[in-house]
Amino acid sequence: MDAMACFQAASAYSTRLAVRPLPLQSSKRSYSLCIRNVAATATQQESSSRDVSPKILLQVQGLTASVADSNTEILKGIDLTIREGEVHAIMGKNGSGKSTFSKVLVGHPDYQVTGGAAIFKGENLLEKEPEERSHAGLFMSFQSPVEVPGVSNMDFLRMSCNARRAAQGQPELGPLEFYGFLSPKLAALNMAPTFLDRNVNEGFSGGEKKRNEILQLAVLEADLAILDEIDSGLDVDALRDVANAVNGLRKSSNAILMITHYQRLLDYIKPDFVHIMEQGQIVKTGDASLAKQLEAGGYQAIRGGD
Amino acid sequence: MAVATVATSSLHLACSSSAAGESKVLSRRGPCLLAPAPGRASPLKLVSNGSRVSMRIARKGPGVKNSAIATNEASLSEQKSSTLSFGPDVFVLDLAEKLEELDYAPGLNTTAKEVLSRLRERSAEATLSLQWPTNKVEAYRYTDLRFLKNSGVEPASLPSQDSRLELSNFQRTSDENMCMLFADGVVSSSSSSGLKDQAGVFYGGLSSLPEDYVKEYVIPKLGESVDWINGDFFASLNGLGVRELGVIIVPEGVKVQMPLHVLYYSSQGGSEGGEKPVYALSSPRLLVFIGKGAEINIVEEFIGEAGKLYWANAVVEFFIEDEGKVQHNYVQNQARDAVHIKQTCVAQKESSSYELVEAVIGSRLNRHNIHIQQLGPDTTTKMNSFLLAGQSQLQDLHSRLILSHPRGFARQLHKCIVMHSSGHCVFDGNVKVNRYAQQTDAGQLSRSLLLAPRATVSVKPNLQIIADDVKCSHGAAISDLEEDQIFYFQARALTLRQHGAPWCFHLGGSSAAI
Repeated sequence: MDAMACFQAASAYSTRLAVRPLPLQSSKRSYSLCIRNVAATATQQESSSRDVSPKILLQVQGLTASVADSNTEILKGIDLTIREGEVHAIMGKNGSGKSTFSKVLVGHPDYQVTGGAAIFKGENLLEKEPEERSHAGLFMSFQSPVEVPGVSNMDFLRMSCNARRAAQGQPELGPLEFYGFLSPKLAALNMAPTFLDRNVNEGFSGGEKKRNEILQLAVLEADLAILDEIDSGLDVDALRDVANAVNGLRKSSNAILMITHYQRLLDYIKPDFVHIMEQGQIVKTGDASLAKQLEAGGYQAIRGGD
Repeated sequence: MAVATVATSSLHLACSSSAAGESKVLSRRGPCLLAPAPGRASPLKLVSNGSRVSMRIARKGPGVKNSAIATNEASLSEQKSSTLSFGPDVFVLDLAEKLEELDYAPGLNTTAKEVLSRLRERSAEATLSLQWPTNKVEAYRYTDLRFLKNSGVEPASLPSQDSRLELSNFQRTSDENMCMLFADGVVSSSSSSGLKDQAGVFYGGLSSLPEDYVKEYVIPKLGESVDWINGDFFASLNGLGVRELGVIIVPEGVKVQMPLHVLYYSSQGGSEGGEKPVYALSSPRLLVFIGKGAEINIVEEFIGEAGKLYWANAVVEFFIEDEGKVQHNYVQNQARDAVHIKQTCVAQKESSSYELVEAVIGSRLNRHNIHIQQLGPDTTTKMNSFLLAGQSQLQDLHSRLILSHPRGFARQLHKCIVMHSSGHCVFDGNVKVNRYAQQTDAGQLSRSLLLAPRATVSVKPNLQIIADDVKCSHGAAISDLEEDQIFYFQARALTLRQHGAPWCFHLGGSSAAI
């Protein structure tokens, strides 16, 4: 029943795709969420449900994936539901599959999905090309962003922005319009305008690269932002700037999935849910207190309390 | 290849030692043939009725070892074979004959015709002494011109009065702009400025140029650059087929504020249909004088009728006096089946400045030869080129900068992108710093990007330094996009397939900005 309700909500976005329901692992969280959703689906007729209950943005079920070259399985059945307006954090030991999960979601060619489903805004995410996922509103900030010599940051951002706008059927922004669009975002990140003249990520410091990723997020106006260790390599001030900028981008219609090792980031961007990942699976889900528990006692404490 | 090099260098020596054009032809053949008797050295007089005869003499000429066997019937076939290996070949001779028969553009007065016929004479001599370039010649090693030779080439005809293209046919012009138009190699009559301008700036065809200007500027300079470019085949062919000359004169001290737009349009051409493709050849030629302290911005744009087979073989000569300043923008956006060959010669006097920004996108085969000759100290020379090679396109740039005076400053940036497996970019950039060019500061950089498997680029940046107190650098980088980069672009909503063009534009755009 719970699963069916969730899927009804998901397919409310789009009826084009026939979605076959899969059994949900019923944790307390998903149960309560689904109950909420049952209420929503009961009352919703056509499009009037938006104000009543947040829609599901991303629903991942039993997702398994392996490295494309070696067939080593890394993700062993992940279940995750993210709704509009929510902030999720995934924590876990090194090598537990956090980054792989985020890369699989955006379609990194190094990984192969071997099973499960991922529905983003009612559409099958796994069938889409990486750029189509981006057009649909999925964004991932890279842990180590790639340098692109020869392409200026300004041009890159504008091309990127216009590509997304074109996919949404909006008119493209000219250079001057785009500068007007970009300036406040730049100011929010405490970035100097000279930053735009440099080549994409070329010779950037660690902090500059992360700021640039968030700037790209702001420009693309993504609905779901996956922030992969956005706090690594940042000093205290830079972390605050980045976190404030991310908070500034939050809306009731978008959501954030953070991957982090430290509580510090969660102090700035308050998560609604914290997931603990271990050996390719989400083993525990809780609220922000789970992260504090982790910070205090390490992963052993979590396991002990399980 | 070694033989070709030796022959060329001996030509160079011969040219510098002998001023007379006719002996030049003979000395060119020197290494291969017995030297002809001095009395034979004037057959190539290209007056309209005698020309065919003199051509025939020239055709047989290279095979003739001495006058005794020249009349022998049996030796004709031998001559033919030796003609193929040493002298001008049949294709070149036929083409030269066709070009040589061309009428001048209407409206030229006697003086103008004399000027042009002198250029044709010189060019005829040069053309017949040269061979159709093959890949055995270093300068054309990667530039395959065989398809052109296997096709038919017919000179573009003079447009009739009714069908003549005028500037008003092109929307991009307005009254405020300074504009001139070459339609199929001939300056359109509407595009001449006359001398309305009080400052004495002139642009337009030779037919509307006042006679005193012709004597002052055109006669002493036209074709002077031929000596520097060492008898380039296609430049000579242009001189042979010239029907009208475009002239731009900016007198001493005049600074022209507005850019002058020179549009070259090819409307005639064969189609792919028949037995073998036929290319319509046009030979536009432009002569530019920049007086002492004068300044101008010239924008050259080459376009043509899509789907037609044509060959634009253009030559532009710049003469920049002391402290003159030229900003030269050059856009080649020819139809995709076209052949585009261009020679740009620049002579820079003391403290003058020449800046070229070049964007090459169109044509099936593009060859641009740039030759810049420094004639005085303290010159500034900048060349920024961007070439884009897509499917079945060959984009070739050969540049040569000769610095012979102190304190020259030069910067060259060459960027090319090959987007398709069958695309090919070629770059040969030579900077020569001669013995007296002390304290020269010359830098050259070539950056190539390959975006498809098996895409090819051939680059040869090279410096020849004889002076000992100079600052020179050169470098070349060839790279492709890594998978990580491609994924990064994809993750940011961009694809190579859909956004390849703007992507290339942005990559190339920086070459225009520097």
